[in-house]
This record gives sequence, C-alpha cells and structure tokens, in this order.
Amino acid sequence: MKNPKPPELARHRRERLWMMLQLLPVFSVLTILFGGALVLAVLQSLGFAPWFGVNTFPDFSYFGALWGSYSFWQSLALTLYYALMATFISLVMGVLLALAMVRMFPGKSLYKYLYKLPLMIPYTVGIALAVIMLGNGGMLSRLAAFAGLISDPSEFPQILKTHYGWGIIAVYVWKQAPFVTLTIYAVLLGVGRETEEAATILGASRWQTFFQVTLPQILPGIVSSTLIIFAFNIGAFEAPFILGGGYPDTLPVVAWRYFNDADYTLQLQGMATVVSIALIASGILFTYLALYRRYERRIGRN
Amino acid sequence: MTKVQLKGVRKDFGAFTAIENIDLEIASGELVALLGPSGCGKTTTLRMISGLEVPSFGSILFDDKDVSEVPVQDRNVGMVFQRYALFPHMSVEKNVAFGLKVRGTPRPEIEERLQEILDVVQLNEFRHRFPAQLSGGQMQRVAIARTLITKPSVLMMDEPLANLDTKLRGEMRRFIRALQKRLGITTIFVTHDQVEAMELADRVAVIFEGHLAQYDAPDALYQRPNSIKIADFMGATNIFNAKVDASGQAQTSFTTLKLGPDEIGQGSRNASVILRSEVIDLLLTAEEAPADNTFAGVVTAREFFGATVNYSVTCGEEKIIVTEQSRRLVEIGQQVWLNIQPDRIWLIPEAA
Repeated sequence: MKNPKPPELARHRRERLWMMLQLLPVFSVLTILFGGALVLAVLQSLGFAPWFGVNTFPDFSYFGALWGSYSFWQSLALTLYYALMATFISLVMGVLLALAMVRMFPGKSLYKYLYKLPLMIPYTVGIALAVIMLGNGGMLSRLAAFAGLISDPSEFPQILKTHYGWGIIAVYVWKQAPFVTLTIYAVLLGVGRETEEAATILGASRWQTFFQVTLPQILPGIVSSTLIIFAFNIGAFEAPFILGGGYPDTLPVVAWRYFNDADYTLQLQGMATVVSIALIASGILFTYLALYRRYERRIGRN
Repeated sequence: MTKVQLKGVRKDFGAFTAIENIDLEIASGELVALLGPSGCGKTTTLRMISGLEVPSFGSILFDDKDVSEVPVQDRNVGMVFQRYALFPHMSVEKNVAFGLKVRGTPRPEIEERLQEILDVVQLNEFRHRFPAQLSGGQMQRVAIARTLITKPSVLMMDEPLANLDTKLRGEMRRFIRALQKRLGITTIFVTHDQVEAMELADRVAVIFEGHLAQYDAPDALYQRPNSIKIADFMGATNIFNAKVDASGQAQTSFTTLKLGPDEIGQGSRNASVILRSEVIDLLLTAEEAPADNTFAGVVTAREFFGATVNYSVTCGEEKIIVTEQSRRLVEIGQQVWLNIQPDRIWLIPEAA
C-alpha cells in the first residue's frame, strides 16, 4: 500500500523559502559572475570574440601555440616551483608555530597578537617591505656592509629578481605561515592535549607522538589551509611581477603581458593562458583532495 | 608490583599552590583512591605520579627509587583518562596495540598480547570499530586495555566511573576490581565521589585544598572520620555539638547519649557526635525501645528513594535524619522514638 503523503505545513514551507533566500546571494555570485566569466573565458580562448572582430570558434590554435612553446613549460615550472615551495615552507613553519602556541610560555598573549600581524597587512605592502629589506641597496645589504661582511652593499647576494624566487617565496611565507598557524591552532585547541599525553605515557617518543597521534588529527586543517594558500600562490600576480626574475615569467604574469599588449587580439592568447592556469590548478587540487579522501577512508573516517 | 611513595611533594602553578606538602605511601598491589572536591589537587597528584607534571618540591619514589628524573615515556605507568583520550583516527585494535608498537615489540608478540587483552576486556568483536562507534563503557574498556597491554607497574585512573550511567557503573566497578585483584597491579584513581571511592578502593586518601586530610580504609573513613569536614564530605548528616563527661556520657541539646566503652574515663570535654543515619532505629512505641539512648521525636519530612527512605525527625531543637529500608512507610507527623547503640556513636574532638 502506498503511504499517503502528508500535506506540507505552512511553517515548513516558510522555512524552506527562507533557506532558499539565504542560499541565493552566494549561489547567484557563483553561477552568474563566476560561472559566466568562466564560460566566456573558455569561449574566448577557443576563438570566440566577435567584439574584437574575431570569431573562429572552435579554434584550438591558441592552446596549440601556447602549449607548443618551450617558454610556456618553463613558466609553468616556475609557477609551480614558487607555489609549492612557498606552500610547503608556510606549512612547516605554520604547524611548528601552532604546536608552540598551544603550550604555555611567558609572553604568550602578546605573541598571539604579534604573529597575526602579517594577516592584516596587504600583499603589496609585504612586497614593498621585501624590496626595502632584501633588495640590493636594501636594509640587509647595508647592514651587512656596515658590519664589514661585504665591502659594498651592491656585493650583497641577489635575493630578489632571480629565478630562484626567494623574494617571492619570502613574501608568500611571511603572509601565509600565520594563516596556517591560525587554522591549525584552532584545530589543535579542539583536539586537546590529552591524546598526546596518553601517547607519551604509553611510551611514544616526541616524533612518534607527532606523526602517529597529532598529525592525523590536524590533517583536515592542514589540507584545507594548504589548499587555500596553494590556490592563491599559483594564481598570484603582483609578487612574481615585481620581485620575479623577468623572462621566463610565471603564468599569471605571462597572461597579464598578453592582456596588456597593444595588439588586442592577443587577449585570446591571454585567455588561453588563464584557462590553462585554471585547468592545472584545479587538476592538482582535485588530485590532492582525492588522495586525502582515500587516506581518510583507509583510516576509516567517513 | 610497585610501591609508590610521595615525600613532601608540593606543586605550584605560578602563584597558585595546587598541592601543599603531601606524604603518601601506596603499598604494592594496593588499590587507592584519591578523593576530594574538585580543585583540591587530586588530579595534579595523579599527573605528578605519572610524570606529566613535575613536582615543585619533594620526591616521588617507585620501589624506593626516586623517579623525578625519569621521563614520562620510561616510567612504565598506565593512565586511563577521564574522557579516555582514545586516538580517534585508529581502530580499537590499533588503539590497544599502540603502546607495544611504539616500543618496537615484534609483530607476532603484539598479535598475541592484543588477542589476550581484547578477550580480557571482552572487546574482540569490536576490534575493527572506531572510538566514535563505541559506547562510553566500551570506550573505557578500550582505554583500560590500551594501558594494561603495556604491563604498567602502576595503573592510574582519572574519575573511572564518572562518565558512566548507573547500570554500567556497577558493571565497570566489578570489572576493574576483579582485574586489579587478578593482576595485582598497584592502582591509584582519582574521584570526587565518596561512594565511588568506597566501592572501589582498599584505602582512600582524602585531599582537601592540597592537604592530605585522612588516609584510611573506606569503612574507617566512613565510620570514624577524623574531622567534621571529612564526616561532612563522606555524607554524614547528623553531627551535633556535645559535652562529654568522664563517665562516658554525651550531653546534647536534645538528649544525653551513653557512649561506647572506649570513651569512658577520658575526662570531660567538648566534642561533636556523629549519628550515622542508617544505624538509628526508628520505633513507633516507647515500650519496644531499650532504656538507653532512646529519645522521642516527630517525623517532619519523608524522602522516598525506592530501596530506602529518609525521615527527618525533629527532636527538641534539632533535626535528625534516619535512613531505613523501605519495608514500611511512617507518616509525617507521627510521634516516634529513636534509639542508637552506644558503640555506634562516633566522637570527633573539638578542634583546639
């Protein structure tokens, strides 16, 4: 026998309506602004730009030209190198700091404010600070010269504007290590000290306790924070533009150069670059998440 | 089998003194409760014995050897935390085997001891479950198994029965008691519940505000507390001021009580008498009462607990609580006679 469907109560209907209303703003931003832009970007990169008088859709030649050139792969390698390196260093430093922050030490309350300072300062200020501090003729080089380590500030080792990208990585780490700390610290507070203490009493060394007890419990925080900073790093533009070593540039800078070219039809090439960045970033992030999910299932978490 | 001694142990947290000078000796194989109200320093004492906290002064000895310099990992103690502190990302068997794994025990031996201990705590069928999928009693058994598998020389438990419901409590109590007796392992547990302390422990150390107030067997602590504060904490209700004379008579505001033979000839003094509510007989007629230590009163209130009933009996100015098995119910307003045997009365000398 079929169960009769109970009539929907008016107050349930109102609740449902209210919920939809709450979802609407973000939903519309995501679909109309973001989704629309994404569709347009993909269309343009495939040769659809009648407003420039170009319409060769579907045309894969922009991607072909881009992916066929050696410099694209150089740029990609640089982009990934800066992003991964900065993410990794931020992660290690941020986790170490978070682990220290849950313990008691003198001056902790002051330090709790201090470490968050970079989070409130814009990236551009950080970049300017890097130029002032790390550049040739910057504070560090002058101090080194003053201390007699080098005879002239210009002899200071080149930190900025090289393809090692120490300046770029320094700015990212300066900003992102506190972010990792903020996230992991909150997770650690929820986890508490007891499981660590239990592990210690059971005879586990400091390393065993960290890798077998603490790390698996803060992993969700590690995954979400690295996801966010890596996604930012791979698409960031200002730091590599100002502090980078010039040609070959990172992919976002390459895209910017295409967009800024006097020949506006190159914008389509720029769109192909942007879409490539999006594809690569989402591919990496998706793989990362899939691996994490597999780990979670393996340890039985659902 | 380890004897545990605390000698002049003191613990300060900044300006706050959690423990002020405690001396305690726990015999090998003994089951001892640290009992006190919350914030009295009992958990701190337990953590100092485990090595998680370091005493500010004094020393802790295992089998007459000072362990102050021995790190937590090497003390070979076991701790069952109040909220169990199971590893949420590990299955039951991984949780239990953890202590052996980190010590580098060979795999076949781990398997063998794991099987053995899972049988002891009856968790074999749950070995692949995760802590979140277990009930409170099961989680506690996992925590106990995880500790016992490492064969600790001292077992410590923080409020072992506090988070369990009434039915499980009894089950867990019998389980812990039987296990402890079988393994003969020196066990120390912390509780704020005097019933829990009495039902489990061989000896109970009462701690008030960082001081060891009394250290005695449960029945001694219950029947012969050494201060009013302990009597009060152990649940004594009928405490009255009295003048005791050399002939062993205690003059209270409502009657004169004849005391036991031990109290005769001790000289006259002021003291407090404790009349345990369950040793007072409630009689409905004066005729059936013995001549000594019988006094009249009126029932003014009744509390029914199922198996037992509490009556408030007003005698003169005082109110006396009488506990009875609920074989009968006496009505409020009834005239009654109370009788107490002389040797059941406990005296606490008035503090100087």
